[in-house]
Amino acid sequence: MYDGTVATLFFYFFAVASIALALGVVLGRRLLRSAVCLIGVLGSSAGLTLVLGFEFIAGIQVLVFIGGIVVLLLFAIMMTSEGHTFEQRPSAARRVMGGVVATAFFVVTLSVYVHTDFPPATAEDLAVSHEDVHAIGRKLLSNERDGYIVPFEVISLLLLAALIGGIVIARKHDPEDT
Amino acid sequence: MFPTPTITHWLTLSALLFSIGLYGIFTRRNAVGVLLSIEMTLNSAILNILIFNRFVASDDVDGQVLVLFIVAAAAAEAVVALAIFVSFYRHRHTLDVTQANHICDQGNSAS
Amino acid sequence: MTGFLFENAWMIPALPLISILLIGLFATGSNARFAGIIGSVAIGTAFLLTCGLGLAYLSSAEAGASAVTWSIEWLRYQDHLVVSLGTLIDPISLLLLFVVTSVSLLVHVYSIGYMAGDEGYSRYFVFLSLFTFSMLGLVLAPNLLQMYVFWELVGVSSFLLIGFYYTLPEAIAASKKAFIVTRFADLFFLAGILVLGFFVHQWIVDAEWGGVTAAAVQSASAVQALDFATINSEPVLAHLKDQPGVLGLDLLTVAMLLVFIGAAGKSAMFPLHVWLPDAMAGPTPVSALIHAATMVVAGVYLVARLFPGFAASGDALDVVAAVGCITCLFSALIACTQTDIKRVLAFSTLSQIGYMMLALGVASAEHPAGLGAAMFHLFTHAFFKALLFLGAGSVIHAVHSNDVAEMGGLRKKMPLTHATFLIATIAIAGVPPLAGFFSKDEILGAALDGEHHLIFGVGLFVAALTAFYMFRVYILTFLGGHKSDGAAKAHESPPIMTIPLVVLGVMSVCGGWIAVSQFVLPGVELHAHLLVMGLSVAAAVVGIGSAFWLYGGQANRAQTMAESMGGIYRLVQNKFYIDEVYLFVTKMIFRFIAAPAAWFDRHVVDAVMNLSATVVRWVGARLNVLQTGQVQTYGIWMINGTILVLLFLWLVQR
Repeated sequence: MYDGTVATLFFYFFAVASIALALGVVLGRRLLRSAVCLIGVLGSSAGLTLVLGFEFIAGIQVLVFIGGIVVLLLFAIMMTSEGHTFEQRPSAARRVMGGVVATAFFVVTLSVYVHTDFPPATAEDLAVSHEDVHAIGRKLLSNERDGYIVPFEVISLLLLAALIGGIVIARKHDPEDT
Repeated sequence: MFPTPTITHWLTLSALLFSIGLYGIFTRRNAVGVLLSIEMTLNSAILNILIFNRFVASDDVDGQVLVLFIVAAAAAEAVVALAIFVSFYRHRHTLDVTQANHICDQGNSAS
Repeated sequence: MTGFLFENAWMIPALPLISILLIGLFATGSNARFAGIIGSVAIGTAFLLTCGLGLAYLSSAEAGASAVTWSIEWLRYQDHLVVSLGTLIDPISLLLLFVVTSVSLLVHVYSIGYMAGDEGYSRYFVFLSLFTFSMLGLVLAPNLLQMYVFWELVGVSSFLLIGFYYTLPEAIAASKKAFIVTRFADLFFLAGILVLGFFVHQWIVDAEWGGVTAAAVQSASAVQALDFATINSEPVLAHLKDQPGVLGLDLLTVAMLLVFIGAAGKSAMFPLHVWLPDAMAGPTPVSALIHAATMVVAGVYLVARLFPGFAASGDALDVVAAVGCITCLFSALIACTQTDIKRVLAFSTLSQIGYMMLALGVASAEHPAGLGAAMFHLFTHAFFKALLFLGAGSVIHAVHSNDVAEMGGLRKKMPLTHATFLIATIAIAGVPPLAGFFSKDEILGAALDGEHHLIFGVGLFVAALTAFYMFRVYILTFLGGHKSDGAAKAHESPPIMTIPLVVLGVMSVCGGWIAVSQFVLPGVELHAHLLVMGLSVAAAVVGIGSAFWLYGGQANRAQTMAESMGGIYRLVQNKFYIDEVYLFVTKMIFRFIAAPAAWFDRHVVDAVMNLSATVVRWVGARLNVLQTGQVQTYGIWMINGTILVLLFLWLVQR
């Protein structure tokens, strides 16, 4: 799908949208509104992934990021009943420092990118393969040298640990503890 | 009207999203807000990896596999972070991270 | 069977060790009553093993044989400086084993009755077993370092037992005093060990590598610098004798004198005797075991162990003789004036140990009779002095006082105690045919043979004094009328306490009939001196007679006598003011060394420390600002660092 003016247009559209929404996430004083903006950012990101030609990953992003994580975040906002309140402004010093650091990071990264000679992408490179899902599946579960079976198992353990850990941390311990 | 986006355009976009996320991490006062920003930086990292997968190593699917791992790790991280927030909120009745500067559990008086 | 006993001689000290663990772990709280039984059974088994070992030795080994029957390597410093733990079996170690296990067994049994109902009952037996373990390890030690280790363990257990009644200030003070004085002496012992170890090791290495006296070093790898067998061998002694030492003395004399200071500390020789009288603050059975029969003779044992070295040095042996002589005379004099029954016995112990040292001092390589006599006296003394202490304990138990002035007339009230105490008194006074007569006689004979006429005279005088002060105590305690309510209400102790007394009484009577000297020194001719016998009996009779004359009749006769002596009597009664001299010296040390050192420590050493602490605190306070506890600030700094690293890497890459 990565070819032609349609793709270019989509790129710029999603880029502008995601940056604007990202600013909304960061600068908004209402938590709930920020969360909604984040949905937008993640959505445009999924769009960008589609523009890059990774349909499967785009689906995953929508499903897990938006459907799972952000919903979880919304739950947390509701549970701590801070959704309707305005967040206090950060101190000016903190904002200046954060801004400087973020800008510095951006500048450094950008200059690295600008000064790097990336190999020009050929049309072949940019050709979108639709066999990706099979390849990913095989790669994930392959026990060859370049397979990912061990990280796959480890990440499944990590998820289990996070599940149990989340329950243990968040449950009420004792009546007098609350 | 617009130049065809090259790899540098893409990377700049992802770097910009990452920097905005960083700013959010450093300035949000609500812990959930910080978590939102973190999710955004993770998202930009995913985008970065995908960009390289597309433009530099389009023969492989390793980048996509890596993204799957990142998504899983992000989910795990979100779960634990939210559990901590709930527990923290129960103790201190606030989620302001600038108040979370007491290591000990007996910091109730400070809140 | 014999081989088995020899190779497993380690079991003898191991048994009390096991009993420590058993008592300490299990006989606590409501089970405390088993402590005494466990301890007694363990030490009883050790006693039986010792008897078996002795019989096996007599039947199998040739007379006077000495062998390390069991050993394990413990510390390997160099090829010829390996310290091992082992068991050395020879006549004197067997003799000491027998004395220690038998007296310890009897004291354990006695203590079951004596300590009954005490709060620290099981603690007491743990300490007692610890002491027995250490003493047995000391006795069996085949090398100086093992001996030193157990020597210190003995010191520790003595410290614990003297301070057993830790709620009494005087017991604490006494235990500290005993520990510090003996520790002070042990420092010299250690120095002696180091000197011997260094030079003997050097000699072995030279002999082996230079081939100087390779013949003298048989099976070189087995020769260890700290083993008694090596140190006592003739080439080593001759070599050490040739080496220059310090102060114009040869090296051998220096080393032996250092070792002797250690021995004198443990054996409470003048002027390091000050701790022993105070040590009577401990329970009386402890005094009987540690401060009469076993630990205090460790010094004698050490000198006997290294006797070839002392004999080769000559000068060192003269020092031993002189110190023994002074101690025995001077403490016998003090003993005549004390009124605390245990103190009299303590000074009597000092005097008798001085006697043993004197006997060692008059011996020589050619005429070693004194060595046998010293061991003989050690053997007999252990029994009758333990008996005296246990008898005194029985009396104290009944009267609840230590002062002879509050006793009197106990003959009828406590017949068994009286009978055994009387036997011990006669034995120590040197009346034939009881134990003390033979051993004392042998010492005097050895002194005369060695042409030491002055020492002989002193010995004779002390024999008379001994008879005098012991009968004084006997008369004041058991004869006459009651001098207090406690004495009037006294009654005989339970059988568990009187049975050990009877056993010891039998040993005090018969101990002298055993030919200990021939056992220790086979082949040495001993001739009976009719002259010496006559003189010593006469001395004993004079002493006993004057005691009866002074104290048996009207009490004021002794009073008059004391008053007529005036200043001398007071001097003696106050133990020649030795304690006061020590106090003065320690005060001087405190004022002129310790106090400036403390000032230096406080104002210079501490100041440096405080300065560094202040600097660190100041810097910390400045840096503290960065540690806000704010996660986001930390994050900012982290990203700052990341950016810097990124920049650096990128610039380097380009």
